[in-house]
Amino acid sequence: MDILSDNALMLQVKAGDLERMSMLFERHHRALLGFLFHLTQRREASEDMVQTVFYRMLKYRNSFTDGSNFTGWMYHIARNVLKDQKFGLDIKYHQIGAQEEKIAGGTLADERLEKKQSCQQLYDAMGMLNEGDREILMLNRMKELNYPEISEIMGISQGAARVRVSRAVEELKRIFVKKGIKKDS
Amino acid sequence: MIKCGKYKERLADWHMGRLDTAAATELEQHLNTCADCRDALAATGFVLDSINDLQDLEPSVHVKADFRAMLDDFKAAEKKKVSDSIWSWLLQPRLSLAYGAVVLLCIAGAYLLGHNNKQGQEVQELHAQVHELKQKMVLTMLDNPLASERIKAVSYTNDLKKVDNRVIDALLATLNNDPNVNVRLSTLEALAALGSHPEVRTGLIKSITTQDSPIIQLAIADVMLKLQEKRSVGSFRELLKQKGLDDEVKQKVKETITKLI
Repeated sequence: MDILSDNALMLQVKAGDLERMSMLFERHHRALLGFLFHLTQRREASEDMVQTVFYRMLKYRNSFTDGSNFTGWMYHIARNVLKDQKFGLDIKYHQIGAQEEKIAGGTLADERLEKKQSCQQLYDAMGMLNEGDREILMLNRMKELNYPEISEIMGISQGAARVRVSRAVEELKRIFVKKGIKKDS
Repeated sequence: MIKCGKYKERLADWHMGRLDTAAATELEQHLNTCADCRDALAATGFVLDSINDLQDLEPSVHVKADFRAMLDDFKAAEKKKVSDSIWSWLLQPRLSLAYGAVVLLCIAGAYLLGHNNKQGQEVQELHAQVHELKQKMVLTMLDNPLASERIKAVSYTNDLKKVDNRVIDALLATLNNDPNVNVRLSTLEALAALGSHPEVRTGLIKSITTQDSPIIQLAIADVMLKLQEKRSVGSFRELLKQKGLDDEVKQKVKETITKLI
């Protein structure tokens, strides 16, 4: 095993080299923040939750085993942290414009505005999905997560995860049609 | 149209590159002939691309600093816990007995040396007592919550000229149950050195099917080869039946079986 792989680093953390967690933080905190933010629309709360996820990984490091997949384990914990938050995932999905000014990338003002609008449209549409569908779509967009990990994070079988992704996409397609969201709209 | 159902279910996976080659080819062939599914794929692609294009936001500047502070606090708290536990370990009542015994033995030793070799037998008794004490020390340390202490305990067994069944049992229990793979590995090495004991051999054979870490499985195969333990073949065959066995382990176990038969 590559000694700098995520799993190897986490096993070193487990064996007592806690400093190794900072490398894992460097690698994963952005994507984790993205996951939490897309599901909650709250920057500050999401940033706090990132800290909580890393704290829990330190605290419960002994539950990480040779056979675990680090990313899967991390998002599993992240889901639990989300569930523990008072607001859960039932927050309203339409305040993004007011709350989130800084969308990374996009240098031109027009381009940024366009991005923000299409982003807003998507958030609105996703607000009409149920919580589980939103979560699985957010996990599905991450390249490093495959069905074995997604199913582990969601606590369902791989077959069920496949079906659920496919159904969530279909549902979102229906919502897009209903709201008239089209390519280049 | 009905038969399109199974293809439509796969469109999202195809778009994300999550289909195996055979399934992907089959779907692509179908897409060539079915305009309806091609439209569906375009819509699926648009939905997934919109999601994939979501920008991950730039973390605020304090996020990194907050993490650093949290990690440092956590490390400090752990350090305190460890030093507390070392003190409580050193000060625990059963050890104070051991300290007492060591002092007594030293006095007795000095006394015996003073009286020269009048009592060879007593010197031997003294050896036996020191030995007993060392064994007790090993047994106590194997219960330590720190993995490094348990490894130390295991390595102490190398110094013991003779070990009794209590130590062997404790080592086997460590091999089978210790949560730390490094501790288990050291324990396996220590047990291999005790291969002349029949209990050790039987225990090792039993342990083959209970280990789940590939490193340990490989090491145990090596030990069995070294000990030329033919009775282990049955257990190795059992192990081969386990689902999800590491390929390298599988290969090694097969080789081991061939060499042992």
